[in-house]
Amino acid sequence: MPSRKLPVPIAAMAIAALLAGCAGGSAGAPAAPIDPQADVSGEITVWSWDVAATALKRLGSEYESSHPGTKITVVDVGYDNAYDKLSVGFKAGSGLPDIVSIETDRAPGYITEFPKGFADLTPVIGDKQADFDPSKWSASSNGDGQILVAPWDSGTVGLFYRSDYLAAAGIDPASLSTWDDLVVAGEKIKSTTGHTLMSIDVSSGATFSMMLQQQGEGLFNSDGEITVSSPRAVKALTLLKGMNDKGLIKNVKGWDGRVTATKDGDSAVHPEAVWWTGTLTGEMPELAQKFGVTELPGFTASGARTSNNGGSGLAIPSQAKNPNLAASFVAWTLADTTNQVSMMKTEGLFPSYLPALADPYFQQPDPYFSGEKVYELFATETAKIPSISYTSDNAKAQDMVANAVVASVINGADPQKTLDDVANQIANATGRKIAN
Amino acid sequence: MTRSQDATRLGASLRHAPIYLVLLVGSIISLIPFLWMVVASTHRTSDLFGTPLPVLPGGELLTNLARLQEDVNFGRVMINSLAVAIVYTAFSSIVSIMAGYGLAKFSFRGRNVAFGLILVTMMIPMQVLLVPLFQMMASIGWIDSYQAVILPFVASAFGIFLMRQSFLDFPDSLIESARIDGANEFRTFYRIVLPVAKPQIAALIIYTFMTQWNSFIWPLLMLNTEDNYTVPVALNTMIGLSRVDYSGLMLGSLLATLPLLILFLIFQRQFIAGLLGGAVKG
Repeated sequence: MPSRKLPVPIAAMAIAALLAGCAGGSAGAPAAPIDPQADVSGEITVWSWDVAATALKRLGSEYESSHPGTKITVVDVGYDNAYDKLSVGFKAGSGLPDIVSIETDRAPGYITEFPKGFADLTPVIGDKQADFDPSKWSASSNGDGQILVAPWDSGTVGLFYRSDYLAAAGIDPASLSTWDDLVVAGEKIKSTTGHTLMSIDVSSGATFSMMLQQQGEGLFNSDGEITVSSPRAVKALTLLKGMNDKGLIKNVKGWDGRVTATKDGDSAVHPEAVWWTGTLTGEMPELAQKFGVTELPGFTASGARTSNNGGSGLAIPSQAKNPNLAASFVAWTLADTTNQVSMMKTEGLFPSYLPALADPYFQQPDPYFSGEKVYELFATETAKIPSISYTSDNAKAQDMVANAVVASVINGADPQKTLDDVANQIANATGRKIAN
Repeated sequence: MTRSQDATRLGASLRHAPIYLVLLVGSIISLIPFLWMVVASTHRTSDLFGTPLPVLPGGELLTNLARLQEDVNFGRVMINSLAVAIVYTAFSSIVSIMAGYGLAKFSFRGRNVAFGLILVTMMIPMQVLLVPLFQMMASIGWIDSYQAVILPFVASAFGIFLMRQSFLDFPDSLIESARIDGANEFRTFYRIVLPVAKPQIAALIIYTFMTQWNSFIWPLLMLNTEDNYTVPVALNTMIGLSRVDYSGLMLGSLLATLPLLILFLIFQRQFIAGLLGGAVKG
């Protein structure tokens, strides 16, 4: 599921702050483990949002007809709203439905905050780990190796570019194999066409996080130590700062700013996730045939050429009333080639289930992108998204890191010093050690 | 009319000119968001990105309206919202008026403590209440029902405070003479006190209705069926992940301000009557 970097809903933040002071997780006895052999019957309720809810409503009625005696009710709770409902429901230990949607970025936070809040999905999809996007599997699992959120769709990142601007500057997109190549190209584009290289919202810190994950690093390592001042992080921040110093970045505000800048044709390239295709075709149909997609430039010539931004999964709260039917529906929907492909075709949800990506649909040329096979590129890259580690302090650290990115990129502070400072700040706030 | 009178009037107008200028600028600033709502709700969302932005209304109003109805069943959620807000306003106003009157005009043991306690509840942030209230509603089995949306907030501390303050000014002698004339307590309240308090009650009703009409987080937590949603909850589901339906949102928000506008127009007479009544009778 696509993710826009929106501020955490205020109520959810306040709830989280209050909960931080309380001991224990959700109330209630631990649920019985899911039994994949159990006969499924009865009804379940599913909370989802946007096109994901549309997809589940459609597949829900198909499931009902192939599994007589079942009823699937899907409620669109809204994407902005969902987390307030989830936080309160997990904390109260009641009121949640049988299945909920959670974005991959948020999953680690909920898993660590409510360790007993989720049913273990290992009995139903555990044997299919190799079939899923590895970065999402690790983000959706807990420390004991239990898979708690079934990966649904991936936010595989590629480099969208304006083919007309690149052609005018005489640049072959295939030659952009490293970020350094891209910076050189950016200067050429700026001098020939007058356009900036990228339009990004510096203050969200999203581009920096994306560059970190591309290098296989998160804000913390697998031992829970702080890694925001690591050489890789310094490299990413230095790169961003260098781009801005050369006047290659147009700093825009939030989601609307990114869409507007793209529609206005302000910049030549957009490092965005696969779901950005939906934004392009929906909001700027007049720009058809002006975009192409290539792999993200690498940090080294042999480094990873993709990252992750967004995506979501389905989880079964341990308070679910009909966990066996819920598990059956989740596995039927997500760990299944036909259904995953149908959601890509109909609702534009890009599968995290790798066998689905072998479907001929992903080999089709896309007329919006001048006949380029864009989904083939994303399908190839999805299995290569580097996995990173998460802790319960990710949300807290993310805000501090975003401030540091602004301090360095916009206000010119030294990247190494800025990141050292923010690492200390995170260490003070969380009591965690800084990795060597 | 003499020349000197004309000159005086002209002088007065000139003196007032800067005030009118400030008022003009102020009203333009406050009207622009509404104007933008009208413009935005008549265009396609894709026209609302990009530069320059449209300034004149477009021709997509009916398409947007149809989509609004299709996506969130807008007619239904408007009726839901109206029903919830009207029922809430009726009950909450009765509680506020009666409690305010009691606290202002009756002496009883613990009156100040009771009033103090009511005021203290205003200082508890909503976020603290959410989880315990949610558990309470869940254990009664009221999740996804309108009584769960309405009842927890029927006693409004601010409403009680507002009515108590306005009844404090009401002359005791009037109440006493009504009692001496043989009116019972309820009759005194209903026939003597209430008519005089009409302007304040109008203010209370507008405030109460608006609070419920705009209320978001609590209805969001309580309502789990799309057909039961209130307007703010339903409109929020239109914010998608890779696309936001701004024109639909703007149209929905525009239509959602209409009931408030109508309510204000209805009670505006009460406001003015109250103000004039005070001015003439002294």
